[in-house]
Amino acid sequence: MRVGAGCGEAEILAGAIALGEAGDAERNAYREHLSVCRRCLVSIGGEREIERVMNVIADARAQEHWQPQTRGLFAGAKSRRPFLRWGAAAAAALLVVFVARQGYQSHPAVVHSVTPAAQTGVSAEQEARVVAALGTQSVPKREHHAESLAFSARENAAQTITVKVSFNAAGKPTHCKGLHRANSQKLVATLCNMVMRGR
Amino acid sequence: MSTGMRSGLDDYIAVGPTAIAQGRVEALVIEHQTKLARYLRRMVGDAETALDLSQDVFLSAYRMLCADPSRELRAGWLYRAATNAAISFMRRRKILHVLSLDRDLEGSSWRIDERGAASIDLQAALGRLPSDQAAALLMTSYAGYSSAEAAQILGTTADAVRQRVCRAMKTLRHVMNEEQD
Repeated sequence: MRVGAGCGEAEILAGAIALGEAGDAERNAYREHLSVCRRCLVSIGGEREIERVMNVIADARAQEHWQPQTRGLFAGAKSRRPFLRWGAAAAAALLVVFVARQGYQSHPAVVHSVTPAAQTGVSAEQEARVVAALGTQSVPKREHHAESLAFSARENAAQTITVKVSFNAAGKPTHCKGLHRANSQKLVATLCNMVMRGR
Repeated sequence: MSTGMRSGLDDYIAVGPTAIAQGRVEALVIEHQTKLARYLRRMVGDAETALDLSQDVFLSAYRMLCADPSRELRAGWLYRAATNAAISFMRRRKILHVLSLDRDLEGSSWRIDERGAASIDLQAALGRLPSDQAAALLMTSYAGYSSAEAAQILGTTADAVRQRVCRAMKTLRHVMNEEQD
């Protein structure tokens, strides 16, 4: 290794030594370089010096006691929209209303518009709960209007999961079945549980 | 639609994948938030900022999973996003070289943390490093990734990571020697 010309390589070797990733060959190459390169000897130092510097970080890591206060990622949203937690009963009611207004559709993968709350007898709050319970992403925009039941499915049908819900005459959900793609069984089960919990 | 048709009605509703995305992100938060926030705190030198940035990272993960629920998200993705967020933050605020403990809300705890054998103010020393060197050093020696893993996360080579670690070491060593003088 020529003096100076190998300093870049020596830095790589020193980095490997610092990280405990160097074998004998790398260590010998580094020692050989130091024996002829005063610049690296002064600026980086030998293996013991590398160890001394890295110990500072190891000590700091070992003594790290800061426990970041976990900010519930969705806690804020829940506190602003507590209706996220209970939506099944309202979902059933709204869906019945929706069906009454819109008529039977055998496979409406996308619902873009339903009658506003004032005309359905379902409160705006109930609607918002329904929308939240069904996991739509458009709730925050117009959560007091049923129009917020516009799902993103049309833009990307592959990302849509369809759940088939049956209701009795009283508007209670009686059966829930998901039409799922691969890997979405868990979500379907979760959603069905959410809807059926309101029975 | 007739009333009769509604009797025993089967209706279909389409729902977004937010529920499963939320569940997956919450699992990531539980598993990685503490380590990630600590890493970020070392990067930016401030606990509140680290928490903000880590929350941004998890929200990004959430949006990504909402868009593509089948996507695999591992710790490496989180660290890459966190590193980019930290570097952007430091560039934006131009604080890389002016970080001081006075600005750290928990500055006193840094000093307690680092009364180690070498007795240097590690955080102040880290503040003197270019962001790419700080990221390489912290991702390997602090977060525990190998140079190859860190290289994958940072989008570079293992040799580049090792070199950055070495250059970061030079600065730390310089600071240590300064404090001893």
